[in-house]
Amino acid sequence: MAYVLQQLLTESAVRFPEKTAVWARSRSISYRELDEQSNRLAHLLKQRGVKKGDRVGLFFPKRVESVISMFAILKAGGVYVPLDPQAPVDRIAYIISNCGIRVLITQDEKRRALDVATRESLELCVVLDEARESGNGTRVLPWSALSDFAASHPPVITLIETDLAYILYTSGSTGRPKGVMLSHQNALTFVEWCADKFQITHEDRLSNHAPLHFDLSVFDVYNTVKAGATLHLVTEEIALFPATLAKFIETHQITVWYSVPSALVLLLLHADLQTGKLPHLRTILFAGEVFPMKYLKQLAELLPGVELDNLYGPTETNVCTYYKVDRARLASMDKLPIGVACENTEVFAVSDQDEIVTKPGESGELYVRGPSVTYGYWGDIEKTKKMVIPNRFQGNFEEKIYRTGDLVTLGEDGNYYFVGRRDSMIKSRGYRIELGEIESALLSHPSVREAAALAVPDEVVGNRIKAVVAAHSLQSIKAAELQQHCATRIPRYMIPELIEFRESLPKTSTGKVDRVQLSQESYPIAV
Amino acid sequence: MTTANETTIKDQVRQFIREELASAKGITTFSDDESLMENGVIDSLGVFRLVTFMEENLGVRVGDEEISAENLESVNKIEQLVLSKTKKA
Repeated sequence: MAYVLQQLLTESAVRFPEKTAVWARSRSISYRELDEQSNRLAHLLKQRGVKKGDRVGLFFPKRVESVISMFAILKAGGVYVPLDPQAPVDRIAYIISNCGIRVLITQDEKRRALDVATRESLELCVVLDEARESGNGTRVLPWSALSDFAASHPPVITLIETDLAYILYTSGSTGRPKGVMLSHQNALTFVEWCADKFQITHEDRLSNHAPLHFDLSVFDVYNTVKAGATLHLVTEEIALFPATLAKFIETHQITVWYSVPSALVLLLLHADLQTGKLPHLRTILFAGEVFPMKYLKQLAELLPGVELDNLYGPTETNVCTYYKVDRARLASMDKLPIGVACENTEVFAVSDQDEIVTKPGESGELYVRGPSVTYGYWGDIEKTKKMVIPNRFQGNFEEKIYRTGDLVTLGEDGNYYFVGRRDSMIKSRGYRIELGEIESALLSHPSVREAAALAVPDEVVGNRIKAVVAAHSLQSIKAAELQQHCATRIPRYMIPELIEFRESLPKTSTGKVDRVQLSQESYPIAV
Repeated sequence: MTTANETTIKDQVRQFIREELASAKGITTFSDDESLMENGVIDSLGVFRLVTFMEENLGVRVGDEEISAENLESVNKIEQLVLSKTKKA
């Protein structure tokens, strides 16, 4: 059995060499090509000094080279860091510096958009398009350089399951994103569970809707490869248009779909899904946010033969609980549970009295235990110590558990139900957003004296973002200006859609911004 | 040859996108042939706000199946879609 992710590819390349492994933007590669290209790139990286544990960034929109690169970096013993191709350069520069990325696989256009200091800090960029100027010596290599390297075997390295495989950056409450460190064991714990639970075979055709820096894509990529199935990458121009997306699912005969609920809701509302139109779809998995029940019920009715599963879990553990929709029960349910722990994972809720919840009706913060739990956040021992903590409920040996910050209730049916957050993290379109990160961005504008970011509930995307801002006296700012300023620091999906200006923000008795009052004063944003 | 009507439509489209979509993403300029999806101006919600604008302000009906990259990717493409629906033969 595989103990590092790249073995999944090696095995499938032997079994299904000519089968299509990945399709994207009208191009496709076979398992043999995926194996050989990733071998070549791995040799290139190793020759250029990538050592075990080195972080290598991926910075380009999804294409077949994305998957080739992921496997290549793993084969070189490196740790891949998928960078959001739509994030502002300032954020990308921060991440590159934060985890010490010295090698980047990117496009020349994106490389040149980085600031000079960041560019200079990179030892090597492998660019997918032709580099416009030479004169960077050998620090910028074109993808075509791969042909100089051996294809039949990966470099010889010693790698074990507890070595890191990738780092996924998520929103940070203090204003900067944090890098969740994930090992081969973390990833494979999840992948093995999925393989068993959803019975993916080489005849399946999986989509990849989620961005590669989002952990839903771990299922898409590695469960496809493990089974020798085919992966169809969904790119922007398909994802944004529900009718196009539905056509994509139909044309590619997708059998297993995994995405955030809002993507499914948009399909439901705008893609004229009809029973029988997607006959190959057998399983739909969703995660990342609460699925509004009325839409889930409609979807279930439209797709009667399809298995529906609610998966829950933070990036720090990947999926830790699951609930398979019981269609017979669905009509009478007004809340969908997050379910029970995945096999080989343990979860429990801890009450305010610091006791493990055992009785139905009781609530507490959900904790996760097991081999899927992250080591912590790259370079942030303080934050790691807060969330990845010694297991005080077990005294026989030392181990770490993860506190999710999610409040849950144990149901009569033995399932956990999500109640809410302890803090100001929200979900919008499945994206994890720390309101504090948005506030940091706003406050970094010289004219802003006070700022609060709020979630305004929305039935399609979960939450929309509103900001309430007080400017320094005698200064005035326009909303558009602030939004532009935010765009240089935070990803687009975090930028407040609506900004309200006030003389000052309401405060609680302890002098903190009174968010409860601000939320109560808010109104839903009209489309 | 552009008539006054055609210029107006493109201007309206540009203005709507600039004020209602681009600015909320912190984007100040975009060209008429630039992909509004790739540059992040339009996201999954923006698509529908654009369609609503086209229906309510430009008077054209846009069917769900017409909501696609071919028709809405850039200012030029949007203008073409509107014109194809307002010109008769």
